[in-house]
Amino acid sequence: MPAGNDQLDPLVWQPVPGAPGAQIYPLIRKIDTISSNSYLIQTPDAIILIDPGGLPGQAEQLVRVITDCRKEKDRPVFVILTHAHIDHFLGIQDIPAFAYIDTAVLMVQDAGASALENGDGGLTQGDLLNVAINPMKVGLHLLTPGRKETPHLPVDLCLANGGRLTITATPADSSSPLPDRESVMFGPGTTIECYHTPGHSPDSICIRIGGLLLIGDMLFAANPGIAGMVGWSQEALVRSLSGIETLLSKGEITIICPGHGRLISAPDAERMLAAVRTDTLALANIAELNRDRAVQAAAFAEDCMEEVNELFTILAGRLYYVSYVLDELGESETAAELGALIHGDAIDELLETFRLFAEEHHQAGGVSIHLALKAGQVIAKLKRTFKKEELSRIVDPTLVLRAERLLSGYTTMLRGFSPPKEITVTDLPALIEMLVAGLSIPSCSDDDVLSSADDDAAFARILLSRIGTRPLLEDVGVALHGVPAPVSVAIDRDQFTDLLTYILEDLVGTGSDQIGIAMEITDSSAVVTVSGNASSSCDQGNQKSMRFLSGLCERAGGLLSRDRDETGLQTYTIQVSRVI
Amino acid sequence: MEITTANRDSATIISLAGRVDTATAPALEQAINKEIELGHRNVLLNFSGVSYISSGGLRVLLATAKKLKSPGDKFGICSLSAEVHKVLKLAGFTSIFSIYPSEGEALAGWE
Repeated sequence: MPAGNDQLDPLVWQPVPGAPGAQIYPLIRKIDTISSNSYLIQTPDAIILIDPGGLPGQAEQLVRVITDCRKEKDRPVFVILTHAHIDHFLGIQDIPAFAYIDTAVLMVQDAGASALENGDGGLTQGDLLNVAINPMKVGLHLLTPGRKETPHLPVDLCLANGGRLTITATPADSSSPLPDRESVMFGPGTTIECYHTPGHSPDSICIRIGGLLLIGDMLFAANPGIAGMVGWSQEALVRSLSGIETLLSKGEITIICPGHGRLISAPDAERMLAAVRTDTLALANIAELNRDRAVQAAAFAEDCMEEVNELFTILAGRLYYVSYVLDELGESETAAELGALIHGDAIDELLETFRLFAEEHHQAGGVSIHLALKAGQVIAKLKRTFKKEELSRIVDPTLVLRAERLLSGYTTMLRGFSPPKEITVTDLPALIEMLVAGLSIPSCSDDDVLSSADDDAAFARILLSRIGTRPLLEDVGVALHGVPAPVSVAIDRDQFTDLLTYILEDLVGTGSDQIGIAMEITDSSAVVTVSGNASSSCDQGNQKSMRFLSGLCERAGGLLSRDRDETGLQTYTIQVSRVI
Repeated sequence: MEITTANRDSATIISLAGRVDTATAPALEQAINKEIELGHRNVLLNFSGVSYISSGGLRVLLATAKKLKSPGDKFGICSLSAEVHKVLKLAGFTSIFSIYPSEGEALAGWE
């Protein structure tokens, strides 16, 4: 093997392990959502292109290689799709060498073949990615119910490109998890096995040739922003994963060729597929990822990133502040150690990457799902670097907790789950009083500091926390008006607490030194107003921020509005339902 | 980001327009250091044109505060947008250096 045990050299012909006479030419791309990898196979009797990809340039590159092959020896050309998502085939739509049935025969699993013939924008993901699908003629439907009815019976076919092949169907049986499959023999020599592995899409297949297994997008099928696409099925995916795991356990396959990204050794693939199965099992009842949900996800992505940006800048700033104060106190070593807790430059770069992507996206009228996925990537990276426990010991734990909830909330939504919402009956005045008290007093009292004086480690810990957790309301006068005895309301406590904290932060951050919190009660609702004499109001991102807070209020079980009067008094009004 | 430097009433005023982020913060730091090296130790940053500050920008502000803490030194920021004020306030920075509503009020306080 030219490039090591689990790799093939890109863009050169090389023997297919375990398939005498067959050669492979892999075109491996960096992972993206625009175009798949492509794999060209030549045998003495046929040229087979698996997944031509989503870009015309890629298809043209492949045509040149095919043309050279045909000059050496003219043979019929077949194009097989691991599934009919546009990133796997769109590139050939307007390429004459592929567009005419007598030049190359397209072979797709039955459900995908029908989708292509009907120009179905749902199953092909054309609708999601805002791409019109021209109906395409599919020369041969693979894994049809008809052939399944006559198992083990070789069927000889003569196709429009002059190619001859023999197909034999082997349906799944109860004695093994192996899926339905068909052997396709091109001429007297090479045979490929096509396994029906629905889940990522109903038409997904895995293709085996010798010791290679081409698995399409199976490795990514449980990823956020992919799971739930039109045609996705949790139950089918789990079954298909079992089938392929069984196939790999036989040890005859050595290299796995995914639809995106580099090749993988069989043992690595087994581990990765087991992880996909675990992720898939956790994905019960996710919403379908269609165009409407993609638009919704993109809007939520931008709102979330606005808040993530602010929260992470504040978190980094707090650490710098603590570090500065420690430095002043002559604790330079400890001050330097704090820098490792949050990588400000890396975070800035990630946030900047998203901002530029979003800017370009809006200018070019991009596709919503790409923006949502980009935010998902950035948030996943932030999550990996987020040292929650260590940060909570130094800076305000509620700030850290909120940052964590923000990151998790976005991932949850992108995965297709409804945003978490745990409505419980809560005494609203008690909750507000507790929150205000918590935001007014330092997390460590003077007594805590004094009692730790004899223990160096405890003293250092308490000192750090004391510096890093400056109470939000320490210099602010807060007046609670008309907050009566217990008022039971139906809210999600955590989300309501986050909402009120965001509001108080906004008022304090924009200069309010006096904040009033009032409550009015009607038969059916409780209305909380939070007002501050902010010297200014946030204009940039104001709309996004308000949309984010409204969404948070909705998840908390209430309705939110905001008003600023001519005197500059800024008022947030939250209405929640009473429980009598 | 645009950086303009002017000297007035024994103070150096560095006015900024744009975003103070990971790409532009080094230029700001350079401009400030240049003034300090010239012996200008009353530095006022006018943020009226700044709508965003990243953690990289915050670090430059702290580094400047460290450099300008000798007796007689003055370091302040004026004309903050609400967004930037919020970040500085919640990060705890407003207790490290002075924040002024406007350039005039800052300079009046420094006389």
